[in-house]
Amino acid sequence: MWRQTLRMTSLLDASPLSVMEVLRGERTTRPVANASAAPGLRALLEDGIFELLGPALRDEPVTLRASSLQSTPHTYDLSRSTPAQVRGILITQALRLMSVGLDVDDAFGETLLAWRADVGTNELTNFVDQLDADERARLVTDVTAHCVTLKRSLGPLSNRWLPRTSLRAYQRLAGGNVVLRDVIDLMVGTTTSDVASVALLDVTTSPLGEGAERVMRYHALVQTLRTSIAPLRSSMFSTATGDLWSLDVDDELLTRAALDVLDVLSQLAASA
Amino acid sequence: MSALTHRRYSRNVLNRLIEEAPSESKSLTDDHRHSLSARFRGVASADHRRLDAWMVERAGQPMGAFRWSPTTAKRVVGNAALRRALHDPSLTRFDAVDIELTDQLLRVASGYARSGSLASYLAQASPSVLGLVSAEAANWTTQLGEAAEGIAAPWSVATSDAYYDVARARTTLRGRRDLIINRGLSRILLRVRAGAPGKSAGPGLRADLTIDALADATGLAATRVIGLWPEAGVVLSVDGTMEDLRSGARDLVRTAVAHQRQQLARAA
Repeated sequence: MWRQTLRMTSLLDASPLSVMEVLRGERTTRPVANASAAPGLRALLEDGIFELLGPALRDEPVTLRASSLQSTPHTYDLSRSTPAQVRGILITQALRLMSVGLDVDDAFGETLLAWRADVGTNELTNFVDQLDADERARLVTDVTAHCVTLKRSLGPLSNRWLPRTSLRAYQRLAGGNVVLRDVIDLMVGTTTSDVASVALLDVTTSPLGEGAERVMRYHALVQTLRTSIAPLRSSMFSTATGDLWSLDVDDELLTRAALDVLDVLSQLAASA
Repeated sequence: MSALTHRRYSRNVLNRLIEEAPSESKSLTDDHRHSLSARFRGVASADHRRLDAWMVERAGQPMGAFRWSPTTAKRVVGNAALRRALHDPSLTRFDAVDIELTDQLLRVASGYARSGSLASYLAQASPSVLGLVSAEAANWTTQLGEAAEGIAAPWSVATSDAYYDVARARTTLRGRRDLIINRGLSRILLRVRAGAPGKSAGPGLRADLTIDALADATGLAATRVIGLWPEAGVVLSVDGTMEDLRSGARDLVRTAVAHQRQQLARAA
């Protein structure tokens, strides 16, 4: 006896999700906005910092950024090299242009123009100016490739979701001894709603590594401290690999984020 | 006694700051204006002087020449867009930003924009730069709109900043204000600021308070000025007491003196 296997076409249940679909999620299942977590987190951080740094006011605050949580002291992060920084800035500019409905065709040219209009001249713009033809061509190709990945994956971005880009946050803790700084590449949703609707997106041009989860948690923590309302989810998208990681924000995640911050501070205190 | 209140920002805190503002408004009289004018006349200036809260906060230190950029354009476009969205509820704030930018470009096309104005900057900008202006303005109008939505008292977006020309002193004062909150006959001003408040944020708010009172035809001062720093999640407020108004005026004159000294030092 023999059985003939029929030729089959595999079909997915649904087309692959876009970044925006993941960020917005299912509207009906959103939890009530969490407005009670911020004071507890602040107390946890203040107590932890007091134990680590003591009560004396420092001349210079210890400043933490998302990048402080990304890598361990024993690793060198390639994304901090100058060409990678420029690439990251230009992709962020591309995201900003896409967020207002602009179709970015010439990824390098348009984002470079926008960046220059914003910052004028600085060390990094000078770096781009001084590239020779080969290096410049490599950068153009690199930025274009990353931009294509972003464009294909982002999905439609309705202005009813209130997209805001490159949002800065700054939190002083322990009387100014510690400063948490952050920049959210894209935020959608509002803090004025009764249900949690704010979703955060960090776009990176590096592959997502072990530090990515810590960074997503850090974004959620700083946003919670800044607005007193916990966001719905925190996500990270890599234009290098097309990977999207997304975490729903709850009390446990925020507590872990606060502990991550204290962990980095204790490493800094130990090495000082 | 001059007091600066510092709070973490939340909707409730903002409403409490508005509810607990002093009920009685103070007024600046003609004598106050004459006295201020005499003090500014005492500080010689070769050029026309323009002072604002930012210069007070920087103690008159020279700043680079102003240039339009997406960052400097965001407040003008963002406030105008929010005003537009309030008048026409069918518009989203983002639609309002687009219409506002188109309106600015139309001014240039119809010959109503002077050189150096925002409209002429936008007319010369590439589509990608216009896109970035739009993104910055959308950030601003959303932040301001979210803060305003939570305010229980009636409010409106300020139609312009407060300007006051000090008589015969070649000095123009500019006070920034984003929202005006009405409580009966009195008003409260709200300013949205970028970054985090520094040590001189209080004097900056007092300068805005004083300039706003000077720009009012009757000299009526706001009962409170609230500074909101959304990026830091912090609100600061200063009451419209006579002491705060005097302190604001003194800081403005001191800034003019510091500015003049720096100009002399540069010329020497």
